[in-house]
Amino acid sequence: MKQLLSWQLPLGGWSYQARSLQAAMEPTCLSLLALRPLESDESDKGTKFLLSMQNPNGSWPAFEDDDREGSWTTSLALLALQGMSVYAAAVDKGRRWLLRSKGRESHWLWKWKFRTTDRHVRFDPDEFGWPWMPETNSWVVPTSFSLLALRQHLPPDQEAYARFRINRGIEMLFDRVCPGGGWNAGNGVVYGEPLAPHPDATAIALLALAGETSNPTVQSSLDWLEEVAHTCTAPWSLAWASMALSAHQRVATALLPSLLQSIDPCSIEDVATLAAVALALQPVSATKLLGAQS
Amino acid sequence: MNLDRRKLLVGSAALAAGAAISQRLFQTPYHTDRRPALSRVAILHAQEYSEKLEDLLMQGLRLFGLNLTDRSVLLKPNLVDYIPGDAINTHPLLVASAAQCFKRLGAKRVVVGEGPGNQRDTHLLLSQSGFAEKLRHLQIDFVDLNRDQLASVKLRASYTDLGHLWLPRTVLESDFVVSMPKIKTHHWSGVTLSLKNMFGVVPGAKYGWPKNILHWKGIQQCVVDLCATVPIHFVIADGIVGMEGNGPLNGAARPLGTVVLADDPVAADATCARLMGFEPGGIPHIRETAKFLGNSSPAVIEQLAEAVQIPETPFHVVPEFEYLRVRQSESNSTPYSVQGG
Repeated sequence: MKQLLSWQLPLGGWSYQARSLQAAMEPTCLSLLALRPLESDESDKGTKFLLSMQNPNGSWPAFEDDDREGSWTTSLALLALQGMSVYAAAVDKGRRWLLRSKGRESHWLWKWKFRTTDRHVRFDPDEFGWPWMPETNSWVVPTSFSLLALRQHLPPDQEAYARFRINRGIEMLFDRVCPGGGWNAGNGVVYGEPLAPHPDATAIALLALAGETSNPTVQSSLDWLEEVAHTCTAPWSLAWASMALSAHQRVATALLPSLLQSIDPCSIEDVATLAAVALALQPVSATKLLGAQS
Repeated sequence: MNLDRRKLLVGSAALAAGAAISQRLFQTPYHTDRRPALSRVAILHAQEYSEKLEDLLMQGLRLFGLNLTDRSVLLKPNLVDYIPGDAINTHPLLVASAAQCFKRLGAKRVVVGEGPGNQRDTHLLLSQSGFAEKLRHLQIDFVDLNRDQLASVKLRASYTDLGHLWLPRTVLESDFVVSMPKIKTHHWSGVTLSLKNMFGVVPGAKYGWPKNILHWKGIQQCVVDLCATVPIHFVIADGIVGMEGNGPLNGAARPLGTVVLADDPVAADATCARLMGFEPGGIPHIRETAKFLGNSSPAVIEQLAEAVQIPETPFHVVPEFEYLRVRQSESNSTPYSVQGG
């Protein structure tokens, strides 16, 4: 936590790399989530910085100076601002942008393309979620973060549509699962060949599916994640795996020593990774803040 | 003639639209012709990955007379994902050998940088693929280009309507960029060689994992716009064991026994394509870059080491790229020797 605080930039944000002066939204949001229990001045400063970064259309950019069209980090910003009623207007505007954002394959023309001429990646374009950036397809990680952000509070005047999007997003995650369980970026089978899952994408998808623990796909994915997590030494993957296993009541305490060993605050320079580890080391707070309680 | 205001407005709008469309259709999509008069390529034979690679590479690099004194060098390998036993990535031994060679040639700093397109956990990928251990041992820094500081750069060609890209400072501030691809097939772009390898400099933090906007804007067109903008100063291609079939991830290993060095990425890719048994002009991004960025014609490529040998059996490809494979009858009429023919 101390290391994380020391890396806060003068304006209140955090960059991806400790040596960089360019704030980015992912490390900023993860740092704010990790620091939330401290209720410090640094958190307030960070929150104000995050609000100052909101685009006029309600979205958030990926990093300081970015184009203003909006990005996948909008869902992370909403999670970081969750529960702060004083910022309700900004959150509402962000949530409305998120509801307007959707994978390009949801358009009838592209659905037709993916059903007729472009069938090498196995997926159902009817099951769409959220993209990394506008005008692109839905992918597992941005869809998962969007599900977590939207589920925390449904806008009353758009509740039915929000529920529709949430259900579609969940179906999209199930549609994109790798054969045998787990997720990668979102391509389970390409040219008839199964692709391997990745621990971090699997864990983030499982956090978004925290209410679906009994689903057989979730169970097989949890089994896969549990197996790889015990031999994994990469702190980013280990942190997300630990949070996901906790959210589904799988015992993750055995991972905590590996998590602590995997990261040396004196040598690591990846701020987002340190923030994810700090968050994972507070599993109860993390699952609550991410809205990933089953 | 009666011409009311409404008709005049409609007519003007139609004229303006027509002019815009014509300009788009007839405008050359590249800004300047930067092709060198002569490009140089060296094909080196190497049957295995071993510590001997450093000496081999050093001999090869000396053929080019590079002056790297006080220059910062970025090595950009192809590091995509890890599947045990598969020939997906540029081999860490080749990258480590190249780093040592550039240090010996006087470079003030050598870093390895990559922004993997599928796997977000670059640390995990480095560890699984053997890069982490090798780079740590040699004290060579690695930069995750997906999470680097970014700057907006106007594209120097307009095969797409992207206009600009956000690119990593590490790439933009390097004096000497070395593209180090794995010689392999790619199910969307035909091949992934030194030009396509540069997709790895496009940052995931902005464009996602995968960098899907590049697919929507056209992979071949994006390769050209990107490589017109980010200079590749040198190429070291790993063809000791390449990949054929359903690349870049699920293809089969294909031993080629070569390392290809070049001072022109277009010449490098055209040569690698020939070594794979492909017609380089059939690959749109090689064909287009050969119009303004580098040379693909053997007439303007000086081979400094071994001659190009076309394989008796071309690399296998997915059906969409079957047309690339040079038939035996055609290869017999080329000025190259035919391996095992």
